[in-house]
Amino acid sequence: MQSNLVNFVQVLRTHDIRVSPAETLDAVAVATSLGYSDRSLLRDGLAMTLAKTPEEEAIFLQCFDQFFQQDLADFADVDAQDALEEEPASSESDNGSQHATDAALAQHSALEQAAEDNPMLEALLQTALMQSLVDNDRNELTLAMNQASEQVGLQQIQMFTQKGQFTRRILDALGEEHIRNAVIELEQADSPALAVLQRYRDILREQVRDHVEREYLIQAEGKTRQFMDEILSKTRLNNIEHVYLHKVQALIRKMAKKLASRHSRKRKLLKRGRLDMAKTLRKGIPHDGIMFNTYWRQVRKEKPQILAVCDVSGSVAAYAKFLLLFLYSVQDVLPKVRSFAFSSHLGEVSGYFDDYPVEKAIELVNWKYGGATDYGNSLLDFAKLAMDDINSNTTVIILGDARNNNGDPKLEILQSIYQRSRQVIWLNPESRRSWGSGDSEMLRYQSACHFSAECNNLKQLERIIDQLLKSTR
Amino acid sequence: MHTLDFPQLASVEHIEQGFESYGYICSRKIATAVFLAFQLRKPVLVEGPPGVGKTELAKTTALLLDTPLIRLQCYEGLDEAKALYEWKYGKQLLYTQVLKEKLGDLLQGATGLAESVARLHQFGDIFYSEEFLEPRPLLKAMQQEKGAILLIDEVDKSDYEFESLLLEILSDYQISIPEIGTVKARTTPMVFLTSNNTREISDALKRRCLHLYIPFPTVELEERIIRSRVPDVDDQLRHQLVEFVHSLRQLDLKKVPAISETIDWARSLLLLHADKLDEDLVRSTLNVLLKYEDDIDTTDVEMRNLIRDSATEGRAR
Repeated sequence: MQSNLVNFVQVLRTHDIRVSPAETLDAVAVATSLGYSDRSLLRDGLAMTLAKTPEEEAIFLQCFDQFFQQDLADFADVDAQDALEEEPASSESDNGSQHATDAALAQHSALEQAAEDNPMLEALLQTALMQSLVDNDRNELTLAMNQASEQVGLQQIQMFTQKGQFTRRILDALGEEHIRNAVIELEQADSPALAVLQRYRDILREQVRDHVEREYLIQAEGKTRQFMDEILSKTRLNNIEHVYLHKVQALIRKMAKKLASRHSRKRKLLKRGRLDMAKTLRKGIPHDGIMFNTYWRQVRKEKPQILAVCDVSGSVAAYAKFLLLFLYSVQDVLPKVRSFAFSSHLGEVSGYFDDYPVEKAIELVNWKYGGATDYGNSLLDFAKLAMDDINSNTTVIILGDARNNNGDPKLEILQSIYQRSRQVIWLNPESRRSWGSGDSEMLRYQSACHFSAECNNLKQLERIIDQLLKSTR
Repeated sequence: MHTLDFPQLASVEHIEQGFESYGYICSRKIATAVFLAFQLRKPVLVEGPPGVGKTELAKTTALLLDTPLIRLQCYEGLDEAKALYEWKYGKQLLYTQVLKEKLGDLLQGATGLAESVARLHQFGDIFYSEEFLEPRPLLKAMQQEKGAILLIDEVDKSDYEFESLLLEILSDYQISIPEIGTVKARTTPMVFLTSNNTREISDALKRRCLHLYIPFPTVELEERIIRSRVPDVDDQLRHQLVEFVHSLRQLDLKKVPAISETIDWARSLLLLHADKLDEDLVRSTLNVLLKYEDDIDTTDVEMRNLIRDSATEGRAR
């Protein structure tokens, strides 16, 4: 059971629940003190040590149910079993069970009778595989399946598309083809034993399929997802299919959480606050109670400010969405974000983010400000709205392709922002090669930025936000 | 460091019954958490919306085990001087004065600096010793002879630095004081930490705790809670009011009413001699349940439906 628990922890890990070895030990201790008899009690107990948030608990419960389902279904004849279970309950069951046992016996004898005429079937019945099926010996069968799966290297299963292939290979290794051949032969002979043998064949197939399914769950399901995350984070953001959008959002949350925890330590500055009397006294004690030095409480540095200016016209809207999602997901550690959206004109949209959940707010912003781009006009609006608030503590992030439809770029406004602010960052979803081509004003705008970068997939976005967090501390 | 054995905590069922006798009706999960906390000597991190009985859990456990409850309320800026220990500066200053006066007697007849220093060393250094140590809640919990329940309330309100401070206590039940050394707990205390999830608790802290999430209770459980806390309310009204509160929780409110508010409301209705809910009654007592004017307005619109629903569901059962 202990190794089973370790396997279970493995499954949890592939489902993104981080379980440390120490927690695994705790889980074993929990299982020992609660016992294995009460399933729901054990589930609650394990959930307390292994899952650390309500979300993780939901994943945990799902995994628990999948993992600890009945190991192998009892595949004795169903009728016979039902009858046998009834036996102690009703007084008339004698007949019933008699009947069922008869039926089971009849089936066996049908097989045996057929075997007498057919040497091949005879030989088949003697094989270990068939024996364990007929005798309903589940341990034997599980053992055989484990051996077979080791033989074909089931541990290497990576993708769900391999499931069928592995099932086939394990069946072959178990020697299922003999049963298959026998079935064909019986079919031709139109023997009464056909149905019986077919049933055994189906049971075997089902068992192996379940076995592979379970192994896949342990080995690969998580890997497939990690693989997908990896791919998603490298895909150009506007190429991501609509169906994957929610996955990207989850991914952004994950990245944001990682960044947030990396940058979560609070900043301290040696700025004088109130006199720390206790400390001053304490440090004075060695000097006979004379307070040579004074000690002051530290005051936290004022949070710097971030202004995010996003182009939400058709060509860049997708990127703006992800940038905003990212910025608002790291809100905990990031200084206060004010966001502005523009295409032909510009407006502040921070209010939407206060009133609605981030996804909803982004939809609203796109809807309200989408249209043809005019950078010059938008910069003018921005200057009117926010220029007064820009000081040496302000970081301005501009996201846009700088394609101005041949209008006046109003570079001088960006230059004055450049001079007043701490830093101006321009993120451009276009690749660096096409900057400055056609109606792109990027090269010109670039001259008035502290930092400009290509930003079209999540990996790049993550790196930029990471830098941003470092630089604003 | 030794541990006590409590027959009250022998099994999950014992705990459930014990809690019930003190009027704390809990789900199986909560009892399991307490059982495991005791068996594995691990702290419990209790999370959940405000008012579901997180703090009450620790209080009831203290009652059940008849041990002192030591409570540390966390807030921003809480530091070790308020949570762990502090030196008694005044007394330390006095001590130096006394020492100064005795110095003459002590050094009488000593020749040379080396001998004087040697004599001083013999005198024993009690300047930094337990005599001058002022224990704060965490240290106090370690010093209890008969064990204690340590409640670290709303740990999410404290700073990140404070969390690291807790790690040593939570995993090894000891405190390191640089001037003295390591103080081990005389008896392992049972530790409860509560959090309202205003921020993420660090993984290091979570790893050391059992994680218990208390959600709002089911209708049945809440009815049992009301029956035990406000026994005089009759069955029909109790059912109706619990149903009403449950449907309130489905609404989009700033602050949803918690169990404690349901209990308060049941008490108020009892005082008003109500035997069933009607619109006027609910409207005039709604401020017991809801704490924001906006929420009261939202509810007002839905009032008739809510009352009708809670009444029909009551009859259906």
